[in-house]
Amino acid sequence: MTATQTSPSAPPTSGSGENGGPLSRLSAQNTGLLLAWLLAAVMLVLYLVLFAARKSALPGNFELTSTVNNAVPLVFAALGQTFPVLTSGLDLSVGGVMDVSNSLAATQMGTGVGSILLWTVLILLFGAATGLVNGLLVAYGRLQPILVTLGTLAILQGIALKVLPQPGGTTPPLVTRTLSNPDAPYGLILVALACALWFVARRTTFGMRIYAVGNDRIAARARGIPVRRTLVLAYVTSGTFAAAAGLMLAATTTGGDAASGDVFTLISIAAVVIGGVSLFGGRGSGIGAILGAFVLTLLINVLFFASIDPLFQPFYEGVFLVLAAALTALAGYWLRRRRIERSQR
Amino acid sequence: MTGGVTGAERRPAWLPRIRPDRQLGWYALAAAIVVFVVGELIQPGFASAAGVKTVLVVASFVGLVAAGQTLVVLIGGIDLSVPWMMNSMAVLLATASIGSNARAAWVVPLVLITGALLGAVNGLGVAVLSVPAVVMTLGMNGVLQGLTLGLTGGFTCATCGSAAPPALDAAVNGSVFGLPGQLIILFLVAVLLTVLLSWTSFGRRIYATGTNPRASVLAGVNVTRLTIGLYSLSGLFAALAGILLTAYGGKATLGMGDPYLFQSIAAVVIGGVSILGGRGHYLGALAGSITLTALVSVLLAKDMPDYGRDVVYGVVVLVIALLYGRGEREAA
Repeated sequence: MTATQTSPSAPPTSGSGENGGPLSRLSAQNTGLLLAWLLAAVMLVLYLVLFAARKSALPGNFELTSTVNNAVPLVFAALGQTFPVLTSGLDLSVGGVMDVSNSLAATQMGTGVGSILLWTVLILLFGAATGLVNGLLVAYGRLQPILVTLGTLAILQGIALKVLPQPGGTTPPLVTRTLSNPDAPYGLILVALACALWFVARRTTFGMRIYAVGNDRIAARARGIPVRRTLVLAYVTSGTFAAAAGLMLAATTTGGDAASGDVFTLISIAAVVIGGVSLFGGRGSGIGAILGAFVLTLLINVLFFASIDPLFQPFYEGVFLVLAAALTALAGYWLRRRRIERSQR
Repeated sequence: MTGGVTGAERRPAWLPRIRPDRQLGWYALAAAIVVFVVGELIQPGFASAAGVKTVLVVASFVGLVAAGQTLVVLIGGIDLSVPWMMNSMAVLLATASIGSNARAAWVVPLVLITGALLGAVNGLGVAVLSVPAVVMTLGMNGVLQGLTLGLTGGFTCATCGSAAPPALDAAVNGSVFGLPGQLIILFLVAVLLTVLLSWTSFGRRIYATGTNPRASVLAGVNVTRLTIGLYSLSGLFAALAGILLTAYGGKATLGMGDPYLFQSIAAVVIGGVSILGGRGHYLGALAGSITLTALVSVLLAKDMPDYGRDVVYGVVVLVIALLYGRGEREAA
């Protein structure tokens, strides 16, 4: 996908600090994340203004709770998606894993705590196993990620239809109460958990290797980094997170639908891109992806309060996705140009 | 791909020489024939003239979408906007022509031009704004989906359910020179693309750009213009497929384009076009479309349930990709 780029796609890595101050270096390296914060802030202000104008009050507990609950599945799906994207890959099977996970949760889980725990573990294991297949095909089969995950996506959609041919089934109430409590924004705990998982993962050897592999695979191999194992782990992580996201989707929707996860393939990629993670790999942060998930969730709220027909929703999501990507590309280009100019002075 | 050269050198003298980069396309054709033979064994009459014609008619829609997909994949891109490009253009056709032949005369060119222009927007985003192709075309898909759903009010508008103009219906479901119209169109597209890819400098520029964009720029290829042109062609072919599909089914429906994203990419892969760009030919992708459609028809004939079809689709794509779509060892 990099093939059609005509602008210099490989940014010069910042040297020993001779060009620009620490602030300029920080902004150049985290352009995407800064833009994600900016977008999230703009979205939040827009939402607050529209809400206040419509209801002449500020959003309260109910609005916060429903926003967080709606965002949580996407937060996990997007955070999972970040790992393959950082290795300059892509996971299109996210939606399929969520379909299966959602269907299993709605049909197989009993109401008892034991059954719920058992099936939660099984569902997460299923996600990890799917990721393992993706990862093995990408790393050892030497296939293109987009191809591999498109194939497994079709297989997973088939499996989900087998598990749950018609929409139906119910998520155990305990699961809904735990993962998507309608009374208070306990979902924030899950978001904090996602952030914590990212901070930990980022600082493990695995986290460092992901960036190394995404930046320059050959250099990473030369440095003795097990490239293939890192790739496999990236997809396993993505699959596990997608399975968790499917569980949370089942909790939010309180029922099962073998196709309800499908949209998450696309919006998880959208969230990652809006969050400033480069699809070319090696650049970006899971925090950005989480912010991207909130931006997209707030966008839906904003459209609602702007009285825009929900049927137009994909239109605005598409425009937003393209604008965010173009903005990131332009900002990165501009910052690099400025740094090069400064270093030449 | 690397094994192809030695394979060609070791060929017995009686075998015709096959260019290594075209080898995979021939495999796809062989696979199509094998599927027809197996189909005939399972269900006698499957490989009869009528049976083959039925499969070809269904394959023609995938084949047309795959034409555009092949062109953008050849320069290392991808077009994820085909489902709603097809669907929105089909709806535009139905609502603008409202079943009248006189209107169809200007609506059909209008739809084709609109498709090409929207495709050009994809190309602009990719080449000028340097938005990754996945993101740009995904965004375009959303834009077109939102516009189609929103402007038709979820398909509740008065003219939404309009039947396709009778002339289009007659051309597609009737016969021109004894063949359904879309098979003739498909044949013309195949001839056109073969000439373009194999014998023109335009084709050389496509392969050059797909192999190494930077070297192509240095060699004087206007990669920006080429990229915009190819995405524009992809939009045009998707619009054409949308028009024919509307005529074939008699109506435009919501979601009619959805299966064609997976199928067009699968056809391209089965046809031996490298997803990294620079290698492959449309004739391979066309053979891939026929193989895929024939395979599905065999499965349907065996009363394969929906979920089984999805699984088989996925497995076939992965197995075929493993057989010959592997990247170079060094790149892993």
